[in-house]
Amino acid sequence: MIPLRYNLRSLRTRWVTSLMTILGTALVVWATVLAFGLGAGLDHTLEVSGGPLDLIAMRKGASAEIASIIDRKVARQIEETLPGIATDENGRKLCSPELVVIVAATRSSDGGRTNLIIRGVTSAARALRPGLRVVEGREAKPGLREAITSRSVSKRFRGAGLGEELEVMGSKLVIVGVFDADDSAAESEVWTDLAVIAEISRRKGVVSSVQLRATGAQALAEIKARLTGDEQFALKAISEKEYYAEQAIAGTAIKTVGWIIFVFLLIGAVFAMANTMFGAVVTRAREIGTLRALGFSRASVVFGFLLESLTLALAGGLIGCLGTLPVNGLSTGTANWVTFSEITFSFRFGPVVLLQGVLLAVLVGVAGGIFPAVRATRMKIVDALREI
Amino acid sequence: MKFLPYIFKNVFRNKLRTGFTVLSIAMSLFLVTLLYGFLASQENLAAQSAGYNRLVVTHRQGLTSLLPVAHLDKLRTIEGVKAATQMSWFGGKYKDDRLPFTQFAVDAQAMMNVFDELTLPADQLSQWRKDTGGCVVGTRIAHHRGWRLGDKIVLKGAFYDVDLELTVDGFYDGSETADLDMLWFHWAYLDESLKAKRSPIAGLIGMVMLKTASADDLPEVARQIEARFTSSDAPARAMTEQAFQQMFSEMVGNVQAFIRNTALAVVFALVCVAANAMAMSLRERTREIAVLKAIGFQRGTVLRLVLGESLAIALLGGFLGALGAKLGVLALVRFADLSRFPLPGINVFDIPWITALYALGLAAAIGLASGLVPAWRAAGVSVVAGLRKVV
Repeated sequence: MIPLRYNLRSLRTRWVTSLMTILGTALVVWATVLAFGLGAGLDHTLEVSGGPLDLIAMRKGASAEIASIIDRKVARQIEETLPGIATDENGRKLCSPELVVIVAATRSSDGGRTNLIIRGVTSAARALRPGLRVVEGREAKPGLREAITSRSVSKRFRGAGLGEELEVMGSKLVIVGVFDADDSAAESEVWTDLAVIAEISRRKGVVSSVQLRATGAQALAEIKARLTGDEQFALKAISEKEYYAEQAIAGTAIKTVGWIIFVFLLIGAVFAMANTMFGAVVTRAREIGTLRALGFSRASVVFGFLLESLTLALAGGLIGCLGTLPVNGLSTGTANWVTFSEITFSFRFGPVVLLQGVLLAVLVGVAGGIFPAVRATRMKIVDALREI
Repeated sequence: MKFLPYIFKNVFRNKLRTGFTVLSIAMSLFLVTLLYGFLASQENLAAQSAGYNRLVVTHRQGLTSLLPVAHLDKLRTIEGVKAATQMSWFGGKYKDDRLPFTQFAVDAQAMMNVFDELTLPADQLSQWRKDTGGCVVGTRIAHHRGWRLGDKIVLKGAFYDVDLELTVDGFYDGSETADLDMLWFHWAYLDESLKAKRSPIAGLIGMVMLKTASADDLPEVARQIEARFTSSDAPARAMTEQAFQQMFSEMVGNVQAFIRNTALAVVFALVCVAANAMAMSLRERTREIAVLKAIGFQRGTVLRLVLGESLAIALLGGFLGALGAKLGVLALVRFADLSRFPLPGINVFDIPWITALYALGLAAAIGLASGLVPAWRAAGVSVVAGLRKVV
């Protein structure tokens, strides 16, 4: 085995080349990790939304809440007559009727327009989403034209900031509070009182969905069966996990772009690394000849070069990954075509994404270094020693 | 110019190194062309619709609010309106598709008048008009899904609470960049089905697409439309087709910034890569450059020779990358079924030549930037020291 110091010293001797290669790899890893982090953020939001025992009931065949209408009487029947619904510590049933409308909103950053989800809720909705806490301002009072929204929405949309007025179907809602929803789907929404939104949207007597929590897995299955099978209900009832999984297609575009970026930059970086290593092999032909004359095996020379290219690549990979840290948690949004509105999520550079970045670096190091390394040992020792 | 052969000789001196550099630049510029090309393609699409003099009329509160069908008749009476049809987006689930392909409930004859740049054989049009449960589909989606005349298409209602069974009565066609992935059926059929279920949304339409006699009529007609319905229960908003399409790309988000940043990082990386390769190449030629200077070549000339070399390499890579992207996308749109892909405008993705040219310009910039330092160093080589060098 060639002593590691030799290889590392060589990298340091040709420090300009080494630096350029590290920088190039770093940028490539940075761009890729950024793209994957976007996809991971979207996945995360769709995953954490929905506890394991939570169920959402909508009109049969509806693809999303905005396409669903349930009569309020039916919603009341669900709450009052269905067994197996969990209760909170005060004995109140965890069953929440909700009315969802979407309104056009303008982004603060570029003036682009998209749709925002306005959710009309009762106090039961908060019990179902314990992760949602108001962190600034106060709660919206029922019956008043007040609303609360997520930190991300309040920053990213005009009229949604704390104290501002959001235009909703010709009326105005004052944003009185800002909440933190643990990166769940609620981060994309504006919440107000059910009665208020029913009045504004002229949809009294109906709700979009009923969300509830079952007491256990068995109860969940039974409730599902009753809601879908019973004549009096005949609804679509799916677990919240399934509901959000159906929306996962929203991330397809971003993830595809991420993989395209990954593949192209990988190939580009491999060629660049190969260039560097070939140059090194040619310049150091005499050194290699010497090493082999001294008795080091072919394999150890190959290994040594691979180590060099890996070191360069991993150093670049590390810098690239570190470069994404400032962007971590930065929230953004895109269109969720299933709900036809904006879904808010943040960049997430979790262990999987960072590992993907490191994997890219390793691939670049190995694929880029293997051919030059093997080439290095092909020359006859005598010829190599003759090189200048 | 007379030095071009010399420059090319040097470029291909070390074929492996040049090859790798060119490929590295090509791959990265392929990506950049793809990304920028998509943005440009969206813009072009929107700009193209400008020529058709069409307005989209929706409920003022947006697409999810419906308009009464009576609005359609009133719209047809406005001066300057040549033709108008309702277009209710159905959004039905077809087989196992996770996202609905584009389906619209329309008025058959009016639809062909509003979209007069699209063609439908006269016999197919008359068959469709006779068949209440009939539909026509775009040639592209028909090709990908294997639909033929007379095939039955079942759409399960996801947005509307009715299931539809439609018969394919014809195929509409258009230019290369037209959206040929849609399905059109009779609004009357949808309405009848809704009325049968006593649905509260019977008699309502999603939006109206109308065509004006000329481009000059557009602003006045739009103004009249909004004024006409301003105090109605269902106030309307009129926008050009261009603005309407832009709305969808805007929904996708601040992609522009993301793409620009990625492209910037890639370009930066490329400058490093290309500069590295140039530096390596020149290191080997110190003696040669010293000889050049010794026989009388000026510093400036040497500088230009080296810059020319790095420019040539970068342009080769840029050419491959840009052309590759343009052809790749052409092939993708022709052979792949993009109607299921959740990105508006992807099914008519076409990289404009100007974007490919821009990518080439980027390559030239990379070539110049990466060659600057090596060229400067080469020009500054001391003749005596250079001649003494063994390598």
